[in-house]
Amino acid sequence: MEWFNKWLDTLYNTFMVDQRYMTIVSGFEKTIVITFGALLIGVIIGTIVAIIKVFADGNKKLKILDVICNIYLTVIRGTPVVVQLLIAFFIIFVSAKDGTMVAIITFGVNSGAYVAETIRSGIMAVDSGQNEAGRALGFSKLRTMQYIILPQAFKNILPAIGNEMIALLKETSVAGYVAVVDITKAANQIKNTTYDQINPIMLVALIYLILVIGLTKLLNVFERRLRKSER
Amino acid sequence: MNDNVIIKTEDLCKHYRGGVIRALDGVSAEIKKGEVVVVIGPSGSGKSTFLRSLNLLEIPTSGKILFEDVDITNPKLDVNVYRRKMGMVFQHFNLFPHMTILRNMTIAPMKLLKKTKEEAEAKALELLKLVGLEDRAESYPSQLSGGQKQRVAIVRALCMEPEVMLFDEPTSALDPEMVGEVLDVMKNLAESGMTMLVVTHEMGFAREVASRVIFMDEGQIIEEGTPADIFENPQNSRTQSFLSKVL
Ligand SMILES: Nc1ncnc2c1ncn2[C@@H]1O[C@H](COP(=O)(O)OP(=O)(O)OP(=O)(O)O)[C@@H](O)[C@H]1O
Ligand SMILES: [Mg+2]
Repeated sequence: MEWFNKWLDTLYNTFMVDQRYMTIVSGFEKTIVITFGALLIGVIIGTIVAIIKVFADGNKKLKILDVICNIYLTVIRGTPVVVQLLIAFFIIFVSAKDGTMVAIITFGVNSGAYVAETIRSGIMAVDSGQNEAGRALGFSKLRTMQYIILPQAFKNILPAIGNEMIALLKETSVAGYVAVVDITKAANQIKNTTYDQINPIMLVALIYLILVIGLTKLLNVFERRLRKSER
Repeated sequence: MNDNVIIKTEDLCKHYRGGVIRALDGVSAEIKKGEVVVVIGPSGSGKSTFLRSLNLLEIPTSGKILFEDVDITNPKLDVNVYRRKMGMVFQHFNLFPHMTILRNMTIAPMKLLKKTKEEAEAKALELLKLVGLEDRAESYPSQLSGGQKQRVAIVRALCMEPEVMLFDEPTSALDPEMVGEVLDVMKNLAESGMTMLVVTHEMGFAREVASRVIFMDEGQIIEEGTPADIFENPQNSRTQSFLSKVL
């Protein structure tokens, strides 16, 4: 049991002295805030892009918007998110001191490009009769989308949005590139101060793993509920 | 012009693939207030296309649609305003599955006619009662039988207080034992004076309820007249051969 006591001593030195665990706690908060902030932005952008793409199909007036969306999708999907983060922090938002907001926006804009396709396919999966019924009642295209199509589309794609959330959670671990002390960066800082090469990183890995397993379980429960309500 | 006419079409055409397919090929028709016009014809003859053109779910290739003397094919008009005056009932019901029956019926009057929730719900419940479904107000569409769904679809359209009701094969997707309950609702509606345009294969309904029957084939109106004219004494050979198959 000698090694065990020694390990406990190391843990104490690494995390408890100077309340270094607080860095992990605040890093954890940052990671969560960035993940959910980015998810929110991603879903909003994704929804707007998806609606434009659906409406532009067969409507020449929306051609320009459609082209803009395509450029956005191509650029975002064609470059690594770390590079996007660096561009955002060092080129676009040069005056930003705290990278958190920059990270939220960047991950959100990035996520939007992937969510857009998911939402678009969710919209396409809704029976065309739903659109016709809405239009026949006198709802405009946009209102039909809002009241009738989107609620059904979101129900279809909720699992995919959940997966996007999990992907984002892990992706945000590169936020340290732009001076954000997220949970990964926090571990790295503790590692550098204490020269403990193992425990900070392993702890963070464990935290990610538990979060992802927990979220996956939650999603599965949610999905089963949805299925049931569909009868 | 006769002010009893609600809808009048002039030389209405709907072509696909640059005229290769002529779903509608010059349809001129009139529907007067209080009339029940039944449209019959073989599959692919353009009955649905005709009906769906009237509320511009299909945009005609050419021709005019006058709704109370206003040409609604004019792209400058807000078609949504005119669609509100035309209720439509679909073969596959198209109820909104994520809303309760009551919400299905109140959302359009509340959002489009700016009715209060109380007004809209009172009207909806009154109509549900008429079709014997007042106890299903809080149900979801998936909990209803086909016949019940179609009855709800009819009263959902009525909640907008339309001036004319369009039915596209309202009983074709139903199990045979449910056809009667839907036809009964339509019959009552006809008796209440509603102007109706009905595409159907239910010849019994046409005979009994229609004030006029239109026979369509290949995108054109071949023959029209009273049910007695059409069913007992069809003039055109195509009408005769169609009726000999379905009667
Ligand atoms: N989107 C479309 N593209 C090409 N052809 C079409 C389209 N919609 C309809 N048609 C064609 O137009 C013609 C008329 O179709 P319509 O659905 O109006 O017939 P219908 O009389 O309602 O037939 P049914 O009794 O089978 O419902 C058919 O030949 C059909 O194939
Ligand atoms: Mg049809």
